[in-house]
Amino acid sequence: MGKVAAKIKVMPNSPDVDLDALQERLEGSLPEGAKINGVERDDVAFGLVALFPTVIVPDDTGGTEAVEEAFSNVDDVESVSVENVGRI
Amino acid sequence: MSDRHQNLAIIGHVDHGKSTLVGRLLYETGSVPEHVIEQHKEEAEEKGKGGFEFAYVMDNLAEERERGVTIDIAHQEFSTDEYEFTIVDCPGHRDFVKNMITGASQADNAVLVVAADDGVAPQTREHVFLARTLGIGELIVGVNKMDLVDYNEADYEQVVSEVEDLLKQVRFGTEDASFIPISAFEGDNVAEASENTDWYDGDILLEALNDLPEPEPPTDAPLRLPIQDVYTIDGIGTVPVGRVETGILNVGDNVSFQPSDVGGEVKTVEMHHEEVPKADPGDNVGFNVRGIGKDDIRRGDVCGPADDPPTVAETFQAQVVVMQHPSVITAGYTPVFHAHTAQVACTIESIDQKIDPSSGEVAEENPDFIQNGDAAVVTIRPQKPLSIEPSGEIPELGSFAIRDMGQTIAAGKVLDVNER
Ligand SMILES: Nc1nc2c(ncn2[C@@H]2O[C@H](COP(=O)(O)OP(=O)(O)OP(=O)(O)O)[C@@H](O)[C@H]2O)c(=O)[nH]1
Ligand SMILES: [Mg+2]
Repeated sequence: MGKVAAKIKVMPNSPDVDLDALQERLEGSLPEGAKINGVERDDVAFGLVALFPTVIVPDDTGGTEAVEEAFSNVDDVESVSVENVGRI
Repeated sequence: MSDRHQNLAIIGHVDHGKSTLVGRLLYETGSVPEHVIEQHKEEAEEKGKGGFEFAYVMDNLAEERERGVTIDIAHQEFSTDEYEFTIVDCPGHRDFVKNMITGASQADNAVLVVAADDGVAPQTREHVFLARTLGIGELIVGVNKMDLVDYNEADYEQVVSEVEDLLKQVRFGTEDASFIPISAFEGDNVAEASENTDWYDGDILLEALNDLPEPEPPTDAPLRLPIQDVYTIDGIGTVPVGRVETGILNVGDNVSFQPSDVGGEVKTVEMHHEEVPKADPGDNVGFNVRGIGKDDIRRGDVCGPADDPPTVAETFQAQVVVMQHPSVITAGYTPVFHAHTAQVACTIESIDQKIDPSSGEVAEENPDFIQNGDAAVVTIRPQKPLSIEPSGEIPELGSFAIRDMGQTIAAGKVLDVNER
């Protein structure tokens, strides 16, 4: 089985969140077996900036649920959603 | 090169040759970096093999991309005279189905790879159903590994008829499917018509890809913008954030949020931190609506025009396929439905029809239960208000994944909504 790349959208809970620190906390929260391949930032609106970590997970264990849950529990995270997934 | 764009999903059972076909397409269109091909030709010669394995090339490319600076590693790209193609090789595991349903749209059309020596297999069924649920327009079926069955026409016809049965079961119009005998490994009928299949006179794969209709963004549909988050921003007020799925959001529009059932006039729309007069399908925006407070609306609401507001379901009828459930599903079952940004517990109130796999006809009215692999029409009652649309009218808001016990157990599309 191959690997799946999932582009995950993480919204901070305010425009004032320190994004570098948030990015570190996200990296630190990753469950076993998952890996962050890179993090993009995208200006959304009214000062809000979304983080888009691309997370690589194995196809066979299935799903992004563990990663989504871990990210959701990180401080200053408002919401976590998966933008897209594809085999690499 | 073309500036027309086509998003293509590659689907099919494990080992039927998806990666090999992607590799072949990249190679034939000059999209594989020269050094990767050279390296592999050398390795292949050292090992004494004549042809080289595209599957290895793809693995190698994947590793290279994973190590490198490529951001979008979930997609591959190649161009023809007609289109710039972005392809996604769909994950095999069922738990990714939720992501493909609730995520951004990744595919307009799809190529289904079915190995001639194996025929329709479990993941073929799941992926075809997923394609149908995601609203894929056309399906090009590559009957692959024709070299392994000596390019035999009867074997090809056998697979074609198996796939046609499958399409009928999920009610995917067979007029929207085309079939091509190919060998991704040898190259037959991919970029050049093969001499090995003189009994076949249809399009080769690249022709079929070039002939796909140009996707049109759903701008003519009414506005539907599922709300992802709601913020309070200093000096601005309440700011809902989300992605426009269909239609256009204009400053000055009178909008309605459902099921919260509040509305007002759009004052400002921002995208990439810039004020814009309007937003189109696919745009991620934050906006501000006169008179709306932070507690008036919430995640899972859908924003639409006040005079054509998002539909709120008392109940709805849907076509579902059960993908993984340890036992049987009966009326009364209440798992969590994931549709756009909403997650709502819904009860399967009745199982109305079970569909016969070989004909697509109704096999049984009001069956007592359904189980793994079954396709059925069911009536669903949300336990909390849910905005959802018939997929025949607004496909982008008409599909859902059903989850329970930490797994995606089924996926479906809405046939009909009984409005509140
Ligand atoms: N003879 C022959 N072998 C093929 C052909 N296409 C693929 N194969 C072989 O079949 C095996 C599986 O091919 P892949 O391309 O990795 O299949 P896949 O569908 O991507 O598999 P997963 O990613 O594991 O789901 C490899 O050994 C390929 O070389 C073909 O047209 N003819
Ligand atoms: Mg593969």
